[in-house]
Amino acid sequence: MNSLILRSATQLLLTILLLFSFFLMLRGHDLPGGGFIGGLVAAAAVALYAIAFGYRAAQAMLRISPRALVGWGLLAAVASGFLALLQGQAFLTGQWWIVELGGGAELKLSSPLLFDIGVYLVVVGTILTMLFALEER
Amino acid sequence: MPGGDRVLIAVLLAFGVALAAPVIVRVAGDRSGWVLALLPAGITAYLLSHGSRVAAGESIVERVAWVSALDIHLSMRLDGLSLVFALMIAGIGTAIVIYAGGYLRGDRQLPRFYLLLLAFMAAMLGVVLSDNLISLFVFWELTSITSYFLVGYKHEDETSRKSALQALLVTAGGGLAMLAGFLILGLVGGTFEISELLSDPEAIRGHEAYLAILLLVGLGALTKSAQWPFHFWLPNAMAAPTPVSAYLHSATMVKAGVYLLARLSPALGGTPAWFWLLTLAGAATMLAAGSLALLQRDSKRLLAYSTLIALGTLVMLIGVGTPGAISAMIVFLVGHALYKAPLFMVAGSVDHEAGSRDVTALRGLGRVMPITWITALVAGLSAGGLPPLFGFVAKELAYEGLFENPLLLGALIAASAVMVLIVYLVAWRPFAGREIHAPSAPHEAPLSMWLGPALLAAGGAVLGFAPWLIGDSLMVPAAAAVLGELHPFRLYLWHGFTLALGLSAVTVALGVVLVWRWRPVHDALRSRTLGWTFGPVGGYDALMAGLVRFAAWQTRVLQSDDLRHHMTIILGFTVALTGLTATFRGELAFDLRHEAGYFYEYIVLVLVGAAAISALRAHSRLVAITSLGVAGFGIAIVFVFFAAPDLAITQFLVETLIVIIVALVLIRLPRGSLRETSNGSVRAIAGTIAVAGGALFTVLTLAVTALPFDASLTTFFEAESYPAAQGRNIVNVILVDFRAIDTLGEITVLAVAASGAYALLRRSFGRRRDDVDTEDRSDRVHVERGGGA
Amino acid sequence: MSWLVGAPVILPLAVAALLFVLQGRREAQRVISTASTALLVTLSAILLYRVSEGGILVAQFGEWRAPFGISFVADHLSAIMVVITGVMAVATAVYALRDIDPDREALGYHPLFQVLLAGINGAFLTGDLFNMYVWFEVLLIASFVLLTLGNRREQLEGGIKYVAVNLVSSLVFLGAIGLVYGVTGTLNMADLAIRLPQAPGGLVSVIAMLFMVAFGIKAALFPLFFWLPASYHTPPQAIAAIFAGMLTKVGVYALIRVFTLLFVHDVAYTHTILLWIAGFTMVTGVLGAAAQNDFRKILSFHIISQIGYMIMGLALYTPLALLGAVFYIVHHIIVKANLFLVAGIVRRYAGSFDLDRLGGLYRRAPFLSVLFLVPAFSLAGFPPLSGFWAKLVVVLAAADVGAWPIVAVALVVGLLTIYSMTKIWQAAFWSPLPDGVELAPRPSGLLYAPVIGLALLTLAIGFWSGPFLAVAEAAATELMDPTAYVRAVLGDAAAATIGRTP
Repeated sequence: MNSLILRSATQLLLTILLLFSFFLMLRGHDLPGGGFIGGLVAAAAVALYAIAFGYRAAQAMLRISPRALVGWGLLAAVASGFLALLQGQAFLTGQWWIVELGGGAELKLSSPLLFDIGVYLVVVGTILTMLFALEER
Repeated sequence: MPGGDRVLIAVLLAFGVALAAPVIVRVAGDRSGWVLALLPAGITAYLLSHGSRVAAGESIVERVAWVSALDIHLSMRLDGLSLVFALMIAGIGTAIVIYAGGYLRGDRQLPRFYLLLLAFMAAMLGVVLSDNLISLFVFWELTSITSYFLVGYKHEDETSRKSALQALLVTAGGGLAMLAGFLILGLVGGTFEISELLSDPEAIRGHEAYLAILLLVGLGALTKSAQWPFHFWLPNAMAAPTPVSAYLHSATMVKAGVYLLARLSPALGGTPAWFWLLTLAGAATMLAAGSLALLQRDSKRLLAYSTLIALGTLVMLIGVGTPGAISAMIVFLVGHALYKAPLFMVAGSVDHEAGSRDVTALRGLGRVMPITWITALVAGLSAGGLPPLFGFVAKELAYEGLFENPLLLGALIAASAVMVLIVYLVAWRPFAGREIHAPSAPHEAPLSMWLGPALLAAGGAVLGFAPWLIGDSLMVPAAAAVLGELHPFRLYLWHGFTLALGLSAVTVALGVVLVWRWRPVHDALRSRTLGWTFGPVGGYDALMAGLVRFAAWQTRVLQSDDLRHHMTIILGFTVALTGLTATFRGELAFDLRHEAGYFYEYIVLVLVGAAAISALRAHSRLVAITSLGVAGFGIAIVFVFFAAPDLAITQFLVETLIVIIVALVLIRLPRGSLRETSNGSVRAIAGTIAVAGGALFTVLTLAVTALPFDASLTTFFEAESYPAAQGRNIVNVILVDFRAIDTLGEITVLAVAASGAYALLRRSFGRRRDDVDTEDRSDRVHVERGGGA
Repeated sequence: MSWLVGAPVILPLAVAALLFVLQGRREAQRVISTASTALLVTLSAILLYRVSEGGILVAQFGEWRAPFGISFVADHLSAIMVVITGVMAVATAVYALRDIDPDREALGYHPLFQVLLAGINGAFLTGDLFNMYVWFEVLLIASFVLLTLGNRREQLEGGIKYVAVNLVSSLVFLGAIGLVYGVTGTLNMADLAIRLPQAPGGLVSVIAMLFMVAFGIKAALFPLFFWLPASYHTPPQAIAAIFAGMLTKVGVYALIRVFTLLFVHDVAYTHTILLWIAGFTMVTGVLGAAAQNDFRKILSFHIISQIGYMIMGLALYTPLALLGAVFYIVHHIIVKANLFLVAGIVRRYAGSFDLDRLGGLYRRAPFLSVLFLVPAFSLAGFPPLSGFWAKLVVVLAAADVGAWPIVAVALVVGLLTIYSMTKIWQAAFWSPLPDGVELAPRPSGLLYAPVIGLALLTLAIGFWSGPFLAVAEAAATELMDPTAYVRAVLGDAAAATIGRTP
């Protein structure tokens, strides 16, 4: 599609949506959101980009193949489970590292977060794999 | 281990040698027969070494645990009966193994042949030595299997294959019936050990399951011993090489049924049912075989029918069951083994050296095959029941054993007259005459092929003069084992001028008449029955054909190629099974009163309902998929109402993406209407099932929600979510922590779905791979066969 | 030792993730995938050993206690199933090295195979009903993609039928889970074993029917089996073999699990229905086979028929019958998978699965003939091979309770099985090579290795059935009395309440 408006808007939207999807994923542990929803939003963002610029451009923008995203996502999720085994706990037991950022703010790093990142990547990767495969034909 | 004897080792050793036979054959070459014969010869000697103990009334019993959990043991029992059978198996086996070396000289399949033959011998020894019903069954089936391979030895010939299968199916079918009988017997008697079962015969004979046991076990024995109406497989089994026919299908395997009946007769015998079952089967077999024999001119088939006559006689004598009949049965058994095996081998030698088994095509062979002829004559005279041979002693005894049953006696006399005819056709006609007629230039058989039959025939002659040699030592203990108690009897060649002798004379006279009128009768019968299959054979063929037809019909009906047909059955079955259970056993209670909902809830309800109907009525795929999307959105709104924002957002996003993706797929498909794919009645059935299914789930949901809900799980999650899992969004904590393994599984599903979509979309439609190795040929076959399942 | 209970699932899952990342690196994938199956079978064997030494083992994921977190439970039955999955994994992985073409490997065969293993083992080990659903989905999607990998028309046709019918199963399963949760408020199976007896019996019976259908589809019971003969003859043999061995058995396992642990309140009703279904499954399956003239289709229909025997064992619901069912499963997996592998070698020799186009193999390949005969005759129930003992035990169990009609059905079906196996034997091995067909040279020895291994295993189970029967007996004992299962998951106090009405 050769709509200048769409293209410009999409550039902007893509950035916003991707950031938003990340935000959704990160806050998911406490508020509505999480890896699954975040992943869906991110996928929608890239899909929009692909509609506007074509799937080749979307692929180039992504730099990594969506199938690889799926693989890495799955690996991240499984790895998050293994962290507990190192502590002698059961697979997938939550591990928490709370980093004080000063000023009362703190960053909660955790194995469930890594797990959720895995979910996010798998969801993005899966949808984009399907979309790209469809577009490619 | 009482006695410390290792009868079992002899059996296992035989199996071991069988497995090693291919190697031995490769090393020993043309002398394989002689080398391998050491095994049966050794076993014969070993058995004979126990003769005196068994003659003294001792039974050698041993038991090795096998499957203790099921009371299955490798129990061995060497008593009078099993000793006689085992000696026959090993003794005749020796002759056969040597003979086969000559008969199959140079055959490239000889290694396999010996493997199978010796494995058969080992299994057969196992049958007659087992003292446990299940281990007996194991060996029994092994004899059927080895027989299958041996009958199908010339497997590239279709007749051989068919005959092998027929023999297998008949005997294995009987075997399975027998297994059922054994199981009942075991349950009734509380053990599978034969000697224990025989020690309390009244418990079995008096049990209500007695008749079932008798019929089932009887079915096994009668099929194996080729009794009418199962006799037909035996003549067809003559497709096997002659050593096999002589050994399995005359001397040993077909006697397994006789053995089993004799073995179990202390527990199962002595009842009217027993008497009628066995005497009728035996007599029918004798008469059927006797008349069918008149149709034959192939020497092996003639001998097969004579074997049937003998088997019928044996079964009939066991059925009569008196001490006289049983004694006669044992003697007849040995007599038959000593003459029939040599006659078969002679017929094989003639076939081998003169090139034919057609008794009308051969004349004058005696001039070039003198040793073979003498053997044939000696064995033949015994078979014809003429003095001074052992066959005569046996037949006299059989006549005497049947004095109380004149009808059975008459049947035996008639059948014995046919035996005389068969002897004439096999042992006299081809050899006599001055001029030699034969398809190929005949010459005397080699040593390996005449030694065995000659020795066995000589045995029959020696025992004819001196039957006492085996009387007290073998025959009396064997009969005692069958009768359950000792009944001494003496064997004489000369009884004086008795009724039996008179009947023998009558038999021979009848036989001579048959010989005299044979050719015209034979020709007349053959011309009339050409193309006509005798009852039971026809029954077998019809059964097999019917089975295949029925199977094809059933598969056509059930396993059609139409997915919709499958879905209808599956969903229909689901709804019916569940619905009937709910109706008749469910006792479902529910309360239809409920709070009036909010106005906006009804709006959503209407929206979802309208979307569903629209999807059903849609003519284009795009409308259908969009309608489904709308319905999905409606469900998402319901999640919003019930304060589940995560679920709602997810549902919205998923529905949106599904519609986008499916739309992307649809625009690539050719246009088409949804309607044309189904007709009215299909829709009616599908609609009924759908409505019933929906109603069912509604009712079930109502019934479940009418129960008080146990919310301990949610309570726990609410309580623990923040303190223990550091998260306030319970849904997310459930997903990534409480039940993270579920989520791990689900993202794996996604990952695989991605792979699958990639593989399908990248490579489908038109771009066919031409991967010769794994693809093309089955494609071609598939197309030719019209596809489908 | 809790990691050991999860290992049979986590290992293949982790390997799958790794292989997804290693997409395109064929050699690395082959080495890792195959080597991991060896590790899998080793860990599984250790698990079974531990279970037989020390009793049921339980793992709680995330250390959330039962019934709130998800439990994995390794009792004898689960451990046996996991071990046999491991054996199958090794056998098919080795076979696949020569059977699966590089194209399929590039499209993700290796990770998919690992996901399949994870799904199968997950279904066997989980002690949570919803989690079992998840593993069912995992193995369904993995098997669907494996089935259609290659995109030939018949594969897609078969795949569509496969997935459509199996989605019905998923739907019914999910619905049933929802109802169970509504009735009891729990998903943990040990917890359910305590709570279901307190729920209204009629309602529970209805729900039981839904589970019977959901798992019955998976197990390919009558009249739900259509997907199996429609699809199993389409994929490469390595895939078909593990499908034939394992997939239906997941359904059988699930049936055994829920109809011994959860739905035993009205055995006279539920298990009688199972017995009828078992009988019809045996008969229709074997008749279906008798109507076929294709090596693989005959084998496919025989899976159905043999499943009937296993369900017969479950339906009779006595210790001996369950022993027979468990033993039957193990025997059948090994034998049936092996027959599919042999069929693959036959195909490489003669280029076809069509019996009319096969022949001459007994003369040309006597060793292969023996390798066919061992599993074929075992399947047919000839003594003393493994199938004989399997049939003997279930038939004995039926005789024990006087269920004579099913004894008769089982024996007659046994005879028809002999007929089918000899049909293949006579057509492919005994009969002369048909005109116009030429035999290829002997295929790679690597294809023979798993076939030989499985044949030896079949012989071992046949000749030394004692130890195998003993393990199956231990499994049956646990199944007949779920107290140990409940105690292992929920502790002594909970176990004491079992079977007690409030």
